[in-house]
Amino acid sequence: MVGPFAWFKWEALLKDGNVFIEGFGITALVAVLALGVALALGVIFGMLGASHWKFAKRASRCYVEFIQNTPLVIQVFFLYNGLPKIGIVLPVLWVGVIGVGVYHGAYIAEVIRAGIQAIPKGQREAALSQGFNYWEAMRYIILPQAQRIVFPPLTNQAVFLIKNTSVMAMVAGGDLMYRADSWSSGNIYYGPAYVVTGLLYFILCFPLAQLARHLERRAEVSA
Amino acid sequence: MKKWISICAILVLSGSFLVISSLAATNDAPEVKAIKDRGVLKVGVKVDVPNFGYRDPKTNKIDGFEIEIARVIAQKILGNKNKLALQGVTAKTRGPLLDNNELDLVIATFTITEERKLSYNFSDPYFTDGVGLLVKKKPGYKSLKDLDGKKIGVAQSATSRAAVQAEADKLGIKVEFLEFATYPEIKAALDSGRVDGFSVDVAILSGYVDKSTVILPERFSPQNYGVASKKSNEGLAALVNETIVGLKNSGQLDKLIKKWKLK
Repeated sequence: MVGPFAWFKWEALLKDGNVFIEGFGITALVAVLALGVALALGVIFGMLGASHWKFAKRASRCYVEFIQNTPLVIQVFFLYNGLPKIGIVLPVLWVGVIGVGVYHGAYIAEVIRAGIQAIPKGQREAALSQGFNYWEAMRYIILPQAQRIVFPPLTNQAVFLIKNTSVMAMVAGGDLMYRADSWSSGNIYYGPAYVVTGLLYFILCFPLAQLARHLERRAEVSA
Repeated sequence: MKKWISICAILVLSGSFLVISSLAATNDAPEVKAIKDRGVLKVGVKVDVPNFGYRDPKTNKIDGFEIEIARVIAQKILGNKNKLALQGVTAKTRGPLLDNNELDLVIATFTITEERKLSYNFSDPYFTDGVGLLVKKKPGYKSLKDLDGKKIGVAQSATSRAAVQAEADKLGIKVEFLEFATYPEIKAALDSGRVDGFSVDVAILSGYVDKSTVILPERFSPQNYGVASKKSNEGLAALVNETIVGLKNSGQLDKLIKKWKLK
């Protein structure tokens, strides 16, 4: 029976297995680097967003709203095809890291802002009255408490981030999705290709999702 | 005696079947019957390849060489060339759409390869085209040889990659391939300098030439386009092939090719 899942298609996939493994490696690498970028941006803009400094609040708002309300696909397309017009040619790996990192940075900023604002106002006032300045109060009093609230949604963001690296397939990024598209489109053995690709993403995301659940449960217990 | 009656009955029955089927000019395989019952032929065509299958943005109508072939097949099966339901496909969607019965046929610059024949039925080729290379005028590339160490943009699900690779191997040069889902994306990558060449079948490529770009004179391995159908729909495939062969023999196919300025 010749269907999308015919046996000879699976055999062809096994033979070319390294195509998928290489793609898996790039996806994992981009995900780790992009997560670094997203966390850095998210923490900075999250704190700015929760501050009482008007200009910082507005800057954070601008970043979050602009990024959250435009599609990731367009942002990545801009980095890939727009920037070269003004002479900046980023390697495609960095297009992925920056594109996905900046995108999720905006979401993480919101997570962190909400986490900080969930800490009762008295905590900050007490810290300030004890002679801490704003940053010290954040560092020693507020953030350690916010951490517990913030971790579960943060882990979820990491899962979203991994899945969103597949946007790189659109700009020939060499990631897992791109390899799957490329391999399956030549021979049209798309059945096994997308099943295996789905499973590989699952392998990356499932442990993180479990971690998120675990953290959430722990936060509930200690709260 | 009983035996004779049944044999006679079978003869009469099969005879009348023959008459009916020759009247309808089909042997009515189940999938062909399904099309007749439905009263419309579902065909996947390109909507972004001028002269082959192109949706005119002004009229919003799809027309082209391959749509005319679809009309001839609709005429053959349903007796009415306008009983067509056209759907735009890309190189990536056309295979799955056949497999899940969304489409009866795909007539969308679909190159016949041995590997693909394992998954789909292909008719005899109705058009043969070569793979070409579109480059920017500025660097002054004269042939593929000048693109040693450069990047070439190709479409996913297209055979141009293998064609250019084979030629590059012959010349002893190295090229890198970047794959994109649609032709406009490759053109955008060429414009932004992400790729140095854009390679696809010449007939498609000619739709993307502009002031800053030029198609190199070289042509690589000929690509044969066939009408594809689901692997199990053999009755339909036979009928389609009959139609294509008929078009070829009557010279009507050449007329269509001329009409759409494809040669």
